[in-house]
This record gives sequence, structure tokens and C-alpha cells, in this order.
Amino acid sequence: MALLAVENLEVVYSRAITAVHGVSLSVPQGAIVAVLGTNGAGKSTTLRAISGFLGLDDARVTEGRIRFDGQDIANLPPHRTAAMGIALVPEREKVFPNLTVAENLAAVPSPRPRALMDTVHDLFPRLAGLGRRTAGLLSGGERQMLAIAAGLMGAPRLLMVDELSLGLSPIATAELADSLRRIRRELGLTILLVEQSAAVALSIADHGYVLENGRVVLEGSAERLRGHPDVQEFYLGGSAGGRRSYRDVKQYRRSRRWYG
Amino acid sequence: MSKPLPHVSGCMRLSYGDEFRLFETRISRLAAFGFAVVLAMLPFVASPFVLDLATQVLLASIGALALMLLTGFAGQVSLGHAGLLAAGAFTTGILFREFALPFWVTVPAAGLVGGLLGLVFGLPSLRLRGLYLAVSTLALHFVVVYLGAEYETRRGFSTGILIDPPRLFGHEIYAPREWYFILLAAALAALWISFNLLRSRSGRAWRAIRANETVAAALGIRVARHKLYAFVITSAMTAVAGALFALYRGFVSIEAFSLYLSIQYVAMIIIGGMGSLAGALLGALFVTLFPYGIEATMAALPGAGRLAGDVFAVNQAAFGVVMILFLVFEPEGLMGIWRRVRDWFVLWPFRARLPGRG
Amino acid sequence: MQFVVNVAVLGAIYALIACGYVLVYRVSRVLNLAHGELMMLGAYLLVATASGIGSPWAALGFAVALSLAVGVLVYLFLMRRMTGEMVLAAVLSTVALGIMIRGVVLLVWTASPQYPRAALGWDNPSLALPGGANISFFSALLIGVTAVVYAGLFVFLRHSRWGMRMRAAGQNPLLAAQRGINLHAVFALAWGLATFTGAMAGMLIALDSGLDATMVMIGLKAFPAALVGGLDSLVGALAGGLLVALVEVGVIRFVDPLLADVVPFLVLVAMLVIRPWGLFGTREELDRV
Repeated sequence: MALLAVENLEVVYSRAITAVHGVSLSVPQGAIVAVLGTNGAGKSTTLRAISGFLGLDDARVTEGRIRFDGQDIANLPPHRTAAMGIALVPEREKVFPNLTVAENLAAVPSPRPRALMDTVHDLFPRLAGLGRRTAGLLSGGERQMLAIAAGLMGAPRLLMVDELSLGLSPIATAELADSLRRIRRELGLTILLVEQSAAVALSIADHGYVLENGRVVLEGSAERLRGHPDVQEFYLGGSAGGRRSYRDVKQYRRSRRWYG
Repeated sequence: MSKPLPHVSGCMRLSYGDEFRLFETRISRLAAFGFAVVLAMLPFVASPFVLDLATQVLLASIGALALMLLTGFAGQVSLGHAGLLAAGAFTTGILFREFALPFWVTVPAAGLVGGLLGLVFGLPSLRLRGLYLAVSTLALHFVVVYLGAEYETRRGFSTGILIDPPRLFGHEIYAPREWYFILLAAALAALWISFNLLRSRSGRAWRAIRANETVAAALGIRVARHKLYAFVITSAMTAVAGALFALYRGFVSIEAFSLYLSIQYVAMIIIGGMGSLAGALLGALFVTLFPYGIEATMAALPGAGRLAGDVFAVNQAAFGVVMILFLVFEPEGLMGIWRRVRDWFVLWPFRARLPGRG
Repeated sequence: MQFVVNVAVLGAIYALIACGYVLVYRVSRVLNLAHGELMMLGAYLLVATASGIGSPWAALGFAVALSLAVGVLVYLFLMRRMTGEMVLAAVLSTVALGIMIRGVVLLVWTASPQYPRAALGWDNPSLALPGGANISFFSALLIGVTAVVYAGLFVFLRHSRWGMRMRAAGQNPLLAAQRGINLHAVFALAWGLATFTGAMAGMLIALDSGLDATMVMIGLKAFPAALVGGLDSLVGALAGGLLVALVEVGVIRFVDPLLADVVPFLVLVAMLVIRPWGLFGTREELDRV
């Protein structure tokens, strides 16, 4: 059975704006699943719906179900889903800038603080030497490491990463991708990844979903998606049938193929 | 849209002119007329006690309208409203005591002082927002109150300043009925000014500033100027209300202008409903009558007799509770309740369901 | 010399009260304008326990514990509902809470002054200091308690897990919740601690010189101290308390005693003009509210 199953999810912001229309996802135990899409496709909203909204977001899951390990978790607050074993590494503001690296890790409620601290330092040796550095002064790659490490401190079963590679160098991205593979292999975690860069996501993931305008428009195994002409054309930058103008052809073809 | 449509259904504007009309529908015109008749008849049927209450409500409405413009429309929070009322009242009192000036000098003078003080209250708003602004007005409230107290002690009016009834063409305005009509006129003038300000360029600028200052500035609205403008106009209105209060009571004492009074005015616009002039009037009515309601309730309840000595305390506690209840359960205030009731009747037998709600 | 002592005592009072404003603001971005009333309520709780419980130490301990509970309850029953609402609505609900507490206090304990020290059977000897200055025992105790409270808070916020969580929640509540930190617990703790420290101040002032409903004014005057120091800085509250006390005692001594109640607010206005984020505050705070 899938560890996380999202069925027909609908999310409404401010009681008026629907950001996600009927998205269904399934994340099997031990898998790495990627969600691809452009800006505003509803990827981050889906992740945050799984993690739970706060009153100050003014968003709600209005339809559908989110099941984690068989339990319905839709509209639970984030600290409850975190306690159940879901960790989210958000896209922006992922660390507490005025706390040191060590404090960022220690502030997380953790069932085994010492053991997990060792695990995290083993995964990210660089963080071990930066313990007293203020998190706001870290580089982008270090920040991403710290955010993932802080997520792991809560001993989660599902790790969700919003935009792993955004703003990072290819070297840092490759390093982090390796860490994610290790996390799955050595800690047995299930990983749900949101990415704009399909190349990065499909190199890590087993399975992928493509979101557009709040709907799932394509899904399949990583190989299948990599080979799919639309993904190649729109997300991997390859050209299947010669160069064509985005405006003239692609928009028309996409809308016809996916909605009609 | 600068003005909400009058009803939930069936009403459309066909020209830009429609939006600028004072009364948009026949029903609203009729309602206004009926209300005017009731207001005009009131002093001839009401007991002196009721008339005094009505007069107090009218006085409070002026201040509440001013605060509504400032906070409810321009989005500038003020906790110093009592300070402005005090400034108006003391201007009148001092000018009368020291220079024996008639009311048609002292009242405009109070407005002028209020406007200047509004400039002082408003200057911090160019740099501060939200909480910090509220705090700066709070601080200025204490400064104004201190100045008033200082005047009282220095000049030996430690219990307060007495003011003779104002004279108009040799006639002494003293009768409650006369005062009622004067204050009714003043309140209507305040309402009319507020209404027209909101339809003007500044009114639209205020709403834009309240919604988002940065965006308003990007749209070319002169944020600083319109903020100051809001402070100056509303402060002048408030100070005039304070001056009228002083003349009506015939007595000014700094004791009357505590922080509690500021809070009462803030409560008026919250309980009435933010962002609505009618809300300001409803709030003024509610808050002014509230203590009398509590007193009457206590007199009616058999067990409450032993608390009779502490009417003030019961009143305060109950007022705090009511304010909390409104903030928590009905943030849109009495106007929110009214809108829901009205929508329910208009839409009956269908049920109103806003998207995403319920 | 007496001048220095007076500044120290008043500064300690302001600082001890101001840290409550800072704690609540720093963690939940709410300005608690009921802090003065909560402080007064704490002092009245001591009056209640002093007449009800035989042993003075038990009465004091019980009142302190009650005040902590009051703070937590205020969060759970009132402020919790205001999360996600406009900041202004939250502030106004603290104002409303303050009015309510004032009314209740007047109802229960009337407006006449109370002297819990007499009820507890303690006396308040005047201690002679070098330089010809005098300080009452409870004023000295208040300075000591302020020092202990500040030291405790620094250690708590720096080194304990809950202290780190409080700082984390203050910086980014959403991220804190996503990391599994229970925001309600953190906020309730902040309110509890703030009321606790405020009540300590209220009790010590009441023990020193009695209390009535005008104590609220002391709480309100401590607010400029918090803001002058910087609303999000604990060091600032300490510095702000001393600064405001210095100016106030100086003005009383050299200018005009009548100015006493307005001086903190004049200092506040001056600070808002020169450096609105306070001596030790962070500048971005201004845009966040």
C-alpha cells in the first residue's frame, strides 16, 4: 500500500482562489517520487496541503483526501503531521536565520536527538563544522543541507523537498541529489520531491507526475517520462520535431492534448 | 469598485454617475426619509432622560465617524482619540475662560487646534505602521492629557473649567431640545462630510493606502500627503466634537478624557463594523447606551442588587467581555450581522453560500 | 547617591515588567496591552492567597503559580483564537481583556488600597547603603529578582530546547510548525512566562508599598521601556527600563514632579522619531507589523 495517497485534492486560498483542482498522487513506501511543473502549477500548494496549513495562510483543503499510512490527514496543522512522520523542506525561508546551525537542529522536537544528530552529521559532514555559524550566513547549498538535516531530526518517514535545486550550482545539486539517494538507501525514507528542473528530478526519482494549472497532466515512471515527447520538448529542452515557436504551437497542442 | 452595491442581488449600475449618487435606490431614499422624520420627532415625544441619551449618541457619532474614516477607511490606527477630544474641549474652555470668546470663535478654533494636532499625530505615520503607529498616538494622548492637567493646576481650576452656555443673537442655548437639534445638525454634517470625502479622490486614495501602501505608492498616489490629510481632517472633526461636548456639558475636566475613552471609541468602530459609516453610527449608539443597559439589567435582576455599588466595575468588566466577543466571533461587527440578516431575507428561500465557505 | 538608588529601583521595576511585553511580542508579534492589568491581577492574587493561606511562603508560591496559569489560560482561551487574524485585532483583544480584568479586580477587591505585606506578617526594613542612601528591603529584593529573572531568561532562551523553539517560532512560525514545533505550546509558554514575570513585579511592588487599581499605570509606563529598548530584544528591555527610569527620576528631581507620568511617553515619542526600532531592536520589525 502507498505510504502517502492524495486523492482528488482541491485547495482553495482565501475562500476564493482554487490553486489545486483534483490532484491525485500516490507515493509508495521507500520510493522517490517527483512532481514536476512550471511556476504556479500547484506543486508547492500540494506539498503544503500535505504538510498542513496554518491559520495565517488562509488556505484549506476543500475536497479530496490525503491519507498518510492509512490515516486521513487533510487540514491537520503542520506540527501534527510532523509528529506523524512527515517532514517538509520548504522552498524559501527554510532555516531560522538568527539561530545557529546547531540551534536550528536542536530546536526540532526529536525522539532520539543524539542518535539523529550523529546520523545527520554523517550525511552532511560539512554541517558538523558549522555548528556555531548563524544560519542566515550560510550559502545556498549549506542552507539546503541544514534544512534537510533539520527535517531528518524529527525522525520522519516521508521527506518532502520543495525545489531541491533552485538557485544552486550544478555541483551542489549533484551533491544534494546524492544525499537524497543515501537517505532513501540508508535510512529507508520515502521522498516526495517537487522540482522545476525535470532533468534533476528525473535523475533521482523512480516515478513522476507533471502538474499544470493545478491538475495532473502526465504521470509515469521516470524512464517513461524521460522518453515522453512532451516532457522532452517542454521540460528537458530537447526538440522532438525541429524548432517551433512556443506561442504558436505548443500552447495550442498542449491544451488540445490535455484538456480536450 | 469604490462603493459596494446596495444589495446582494438584482442591482446593477448602468452608468458611472450611478456610483456617485448619494442614494442609489428608491428604498434607500425612503429609508433615509423615514429615519429623518423619526430623528426630527424624537425631542417632542422623548423624556428628558432619553433626550440626553440621544444627544450623547449624536456627540459620540461625530467622533466615531472621524475615527472610522481614519482607521476603518485610511487604515491608520489611533489610540489617541481621547487626546484629540480633550484638545477640542480644552481649546474651547481655555478660550472662554481666558478671553471670554463666544462659541462661534471657540468651536472653529478647536477645529483648527485639532487639525494642527492631527498633523503632529500624523507625522509618525509617515515612518511607522500598524502597532508602532498605534503606540505613537497612545503616547501623544498622554502628552495632550498632561498639558490639560498642567493647565488646570497652574490656573487653579483643579476640579475643571466651567463654561457658560453659548449665546446666539442674545439667546442662551440651554434647553435640551435646542441642544439636540444643534448636535443633530453637527452629526449630520459630519456624516455628510465623511460620505463626500469617501467619494472624493482622497477617499479612494485612503482605501488604496489601507489595502496596500506600497502598491498605492506605485500607482502614483501620494501616500504621505493623503495620510496626513486623513489625520488632519479627522482630528479636526474630533476636536470639534470635543468642543461641542464641552459646550453641551458646560464643564471641562481632564478626568473625562482617560485612555478608557480612546478605547471606547475604538470599540465603537469595531463593534459597529470596520469600513462602514453606518457601522460607526451603530457603534456609537451601542457603546453610548451600553452602560445604561447594564445598569438597567442590574436593576432588573433580583440577585444583582448587592453589586449595585459597583456599577462602574460591572460595566467595565461587561464592556471588556462584549468587546472580546465581537472581536472573536463577529469581526465585522453589527454591520456584519445586519448584512447577513439582510442577505438572508433578500435571498430567501435560497441559502447564501459564499464560495469556499462551509 | 539616593538618586542612583532611585534610578536602579525604578529601572528594575520597568525592566521586570518590560520583559513580559518583549517575550510575548518576540514570540507571537502581539503587543500585549493587557500586561499592566495582568501584572496587577498577579498582585491581587497575592492579596487573595495571603488572606486565605496561613503560611506566607506557601501563599507567595501559590500566587506565583496561579499567575503563570493565568497567562497560559489567557492564551488558550483568547489569544489562540486570534492567530491568523489581523495584528490589530489581536492587540485590541488584549485591550479588551485589560478592561475586563480592571472591572473584575474592582468588583472583587474594591478600589481601596490593599497591603499584602501586613497580611503576610512581614516587615519592610530600610537598609542603609554607603553614601547616605536608603533602600527598602523589598525594593532591594526587586532589583535582585530582576537580575535573576533576566539571567534565567537568557539561559533559557539560549540553551534550552524550549527556549530555542520560542526563538524559532518568533522568527518564522510556519517553518517552526513544519519542523514539528507545537506553536500553541510555545505561545502559551510565552504568555505564561510574561504574566509570571509581570506578576512578580506586581507582587513585589505591592509588598513594598501596597496596591490599588492605579498599578495599571506602572505597567503602561513600562511599555515605553520595552519599545525604547526594541520590542524584540530582551537586552533592550533592560537597557530601556534603565534609560526611561533615569530620565524619569532626573525630571522629577530637577524639573517638575508633575511630569512623572508623562516622561516615559515623551521618551517614547523621541525614540519613535529618532530610531523607531529601538536601541537593540531589529530594523525589519517595522515593516512586519
